[in-house]
Amino acid sequence: MNKGWQLTLVLILLGLFALFYKGLWGDPRHIPTVLIGTEAPNFEGPDVETGQTISLAQFKGKVVLLNFWASWCYECKVEHESILQLHQLFKDHPDFVMLGVNYQDKLPDAQHYLQQYGTTFSHVRDLKGQLAIDYGVYGVPETFVIDQQGKIRHKWVGPITGEVYTNITQKVIAPLLTSQPATRTS
Amino acid sequence: MRMRLTLWLVVLLAVPVSLFAAVQDETNLDIQVREIAKTLRCTVCQTENIWESGAPLAQQMRGVIRERLALGHSEAEIRAYFLSRYGDYILMEPPKHGVNWLIWVAPFLLLLIGGFFLYKEVTHWVRDTPTPPSQPLPPLDDQARKRIEHELES
Repeated sequence: MNKGWQLTLVLILLGLFALFYKGLWGDPRHIPTVLIGTEAPNFEGPDVETGQTISLAQFKGKVVLLNFWASWCYECKVEHESILQLHQLFKDHPDFVMLGVNYQDKLPDAQHYLQQYGTTFSHVRDLKGQLAIDYGVYGVPETFVIDQQGKIRHKWVGPITGEVYTNITQKVIAPLLTSQPATRTS
Repeated sequence: MRMRLTLWLVVLLAVPVSLFAAVQDETNLDIQVREIAKTLRCTVCQTENIWESGAPLAQQMRGVIRERLALGHSEAEIRAYFLSRYGDYILMEPPKHGVNWLIWVAPFLLLLIGGFFLYKEVTHWVRDTPTPPSQPLPPLDDQARKRIEHELES
């Protein structure tokens, strides 16, 4: 076997080791999303506090921020202040809606959580986990941003704090709210 | 007394029969749910499939499979649904396309490349190691011969 072949084999070997090395530093919990740019699945469910039905369809034409949370989730408590702050920042914009999705939780626990930590927006209950599966959720907190056309534009797994907060407010939501929607139904 | 003994015998016989009956109760729907669930990864536990996982998400996923089967969806349609939500990651066996081929081929490739270099190295060793010149063994003296014979006999 000549030198050229030997060099090729060594390069293949190095390539495989490089991939293996890269894999060692990756977050094993991170699952790349396949939903960006796809139609946001519609959902319908009762409001955690009032019991009234909330559906995504009623916010068609608006930028919707969906935040999946649970009362038993520590990281949800970590991000709670930032989430309220985020709502405060955009709540007066007519095209912005924020919805919490209560995931794998007991209703009294969820209600107690909202009373204890406070809330300024509505929260829908995911009764059978169908909503979470439709959105490819595998843990909480997870946050989605849906644009005016009803397409998922952003997904974040983990708490919305620090740089993540800055990124989602300045680079995701603000540009969407300043862009002119193609179709407006409400 | 005899009545009581008969009653106990009936109870003892009935227990294993009822357990057996419970196993037989698995419907076609249950079997289909199991077959699909075994091919899907639990995204929370990662190393388990959603049939074996006790995580609430896995439980809900099994519920979704059951509901969709009851609605008449095919196994392929249900797998495609989960694939559309979670991507290739949801499949216990990575599909053989694109970069995924590397997962299937890499172990054999490594084995071949490693084997090649090992073969080359060993042949080098064999070639480069000088073989000592063969010399006739010195004859045994009488004392040593006697000692060996003695040790063999004892």
